[in-house]
Amino acid sequence: MNLLPDSQQQQILDTLSGLLREKAPIDRFREHGEVGNEDDRLWPILGDLGFLGLGISDSFGGVGLSAAEEVLVYREFGNQLLSVGVFGLTLGARIAALGGDDTMCRQILSGSLIIGVASSLHTPVQMSETACAGAFHLFEASKADLILLMNEQGAALITADQFVERKSVKPMDAILTLERSQLPASRPALWIDASDDALHTRAILLASAYATGIAATTQSMAVEYAKIREQFGKPIGSFQAVKHLCAEMAIRSEAAQSQCLFSALVVAEDRDDKDFQAISSKITSVDAALQNAASNIQIHGAFGFTAEANAHHFLKRAHVMDQLWGDLRHQRARLLSLPTPAT
Amino acid sequence: MDLHFSAEDQQFREMARDWLRDNIPAGRRPHHGEEMRTFDTAWQKTQFDAGWAGISWPTEYGGLGLDLTRQLIWYEEYARAGAPDNHLCFVGLNHAGPTIVSHGDEHQKRKYLKPVLSGESIWCQGFSEPNSGSDLASLSTRAEIDGDELVITGSKIWTSHGHLSDMQELLVRTDPDAPKHKGISWVIFDMKVAGLELRPINIMTAPNLPHFVQCFYDEARIPLANVVGGLNNGWKIAMSTLGFERGTAQIKDQIRYAHLVEEMITRAKKRFGSENLHTDEIGSRLAQLRADMAAARAMTYMTVSRAKAGNPGAESSLMRAMVGQVQQKVRRLALDIIGPEALENPDEDDWVYFYLRTFSTTIAAGTSQIQRNIIGERVLGLPK
Ligand SMILES: Cc1cc2nc3c(=O)[nH]c(=O)nc-3n(C[C@H](O)[C@H](O)[C@H](O)COP(=O)(O)OP(=O)(O)OC[C@H]3O[C@@H](n4cnc5c(N)ncnc54)[C@H](O)[C@@H]3O)c2cc1C
Repeated sequence: MNLLPDSQQQQILDTLSGLLREKAPIDRFREHGEVGNEDDRLWPILGDLGFLGLGISDSFGGVGLSAAEEVLVYREFGNQLLSVGVFGLTLGARIAALGGDDTMCRQILSGSLIIGVASSLHTPVQMSETACAGAFHLFEASKADLILLMNEQGAALITADQFVERKSVKPMDAILTLERSQLPASRPALWIDASDDALHTRAILLASAYATGIAATTQSMAVEYAKIREQFGKPIGSFQAVKHLCAEMAIRSEAAQSQCLFSALVVAEDRDDKDFQAISSKITSVDAALQNAASNIQIHGAFGFTAEANAHHFLKRAHVMDQLWGDLRHQRARLLSLPTPAT
Repeated sequence: MDLHFSAEDQQFREMARDWLRDNIPAGRRPHHGEEMRTFDTAWQKTQFDAGWAGISWPTEYGGLGLDLTRQLIWYEEYARAGAPDNHLCFVGLNHAGPTIVSHGDEHQKRKYLKPVLSGESIWCQGFSEPNSGSDLASLSTRAEIDGDELVITGSKIWTSHGHLSDMQELLVRTDPDAPKHKGISWVIFDMKVAGLELRPINIMTAPNLPHFVQCFYDEARIPLANVVGGLNNGWKIAMSTLGFERGTAQIKDQIRYAHLVEEMITRAKKRFGSENLHTDEIGSRLAQLRADMAAARAMTYMTVSRAKAGNPGAESSLMRAMVGQVQQKVRRLALDIIGPEALENPDEDDWVYFYLRTFSTTIAAGTSQIQRNIIGERVLGLPK
């Protein structure tokens, strides 16, 4: 039993964090216009280095590793607030591989297909091999060829033009494009039933890993600022009111991170309690991301409230993570309905 | 990263499971007095006689000399079997004992360690004083050297089970002129020594029965040879074993509390109906606690992983803080699930008794505020 990355995993992490620090520094958002981002420039690079296909078997052009490695890189993605389009690629490639579509899988892994992410609005959703339908938010879908759609029943890739009444809305998280749209009953291009692969569980797990990145980065932003900002002749981090906020952030981060790694291993082994663990992970990590992002703004004072400071981006992205594949309320209700795990 | 235990570990787990199933004492553990002492020492002796005491203690002093993974497995199986905690043995097993293992001389190890494992000798902790709680290093109980003896005068307070103990790990000031952290010694004190008087103190769970005592030392004499780890070196020694040992012993609590949450879900479904629970505030709190308990377990695994990699580090304080907090939430929610019956018979109803009891989890062994200071300063590097 060991929750720490082994040397190969550490190498993956070091390579990726070096790359993202160079190609996707948080300050990149300042140079961009009103809404959106240019992260799709990164997809071919990440694809080329294998980061998009870590959990895909090598016969489909992937790396043949497990959910454990995916979780480690998604935490890094969260640290740098990579476009949520990346979920479309990782999970879309898995759908393509499981669906036996070698060509599509390789296209996705090379970054030449763009996949938007659908997140259901309030109305009930229909999901089956023959027809998917409902009302959705579409993230990062303006240039997308395909849309990723999934819930507890299964996972689908749907051609983007099947979505109708598409209307751009002003996103709270302005780094992402957001649309409202309807999907009339449509046959998915590819469908993977939940009984064949727990893709939805994996999606929840990756969203939680991304959220642990938000929790950890906002924690270190707050702690660093608390060490250098002085008031009353001292660093503000010496005041207990601030110090204890930071300590709370660290406790939440540690809890979320530990549970995320633990559940990744449970998912990788396809254990019976995978939903229990992954949902627990989403609850603890989204909660940590939301609360840490909020404390980070508070600790930065008025500076934290400005558009120039990066603090607000993390808060807004944490809310997106909450909504993706079921918010806290939904996850709590699901968790309560599951049986007690055997182990 | 992996969740697997080796075949030998697995075999150890099965042996532990089988043995625990057949040997845990029947009946409810008494919470007080001689009855509790009899219960706890008998249970400790049963473990010792069967070769299960002191999993990580060196073999030459009666332990099993096994690694941290085995310790984790033992605690997991212990809690799963529903084995009762022998709180009276806690200080000896998890604090005074490990301190002597790390810092004691050969004579001290030979004399004091085995009786802890066998349940013959019960230890208590004499650290806090009336004017030195969170600021422990300000302690003023004085020990003067007189030939080959120490003469102790002063007072300790909140000594859990002091009236039921044989020995005490005691912090005394041996150099009043040195800076406050540098004049303290860690000594072994025999509770039968003349010059010690005890005043019992009752606690909120049992207004008529003492849990702890105040100790008054009036020129009580102990051999100078009872100093552990060198004169005036007591602060360093006390701190070196304080955090980690307590942390690993918490593993049992986490598993126990995860079970409790499951029991509470069953109970809540009965009282409110399963259909209604999802939309109820109680249901949402239960689900949150399920997630929190899962995370607490994962944090333990993380702590053990770090320790095995050779750096236990201050991070284990994150786990302690989290667990103390969650335990209180669990106990609080249990009361809401029980409803009006919670107002009755606190001594007989474990749910009510432990609800009241967990108020101490954020006070004893370093308050939650002090823990947050430690996290801020030692884990995050924030200025004092
Ligand atoms: C059930 C129980 C069993 C115990 N058993 C033992 C035992 O066996 N042996 C033993 O030696 N002791 C024992 N203790 C004592 C325990 O270690 C002390 O209670 C603890 O260290 C706090 O000290 P205090 O009670 O004097 O509180 P104080 O230090 O007076 O604290 C009072 C309040 O002030 C806060 N506070 C104090 N300083 C700071 C600060 N710097 N920053 C922020 N807040 C601060 C505290 O958090 C607390 O809320 C036990 C306590 C309990 C409740």
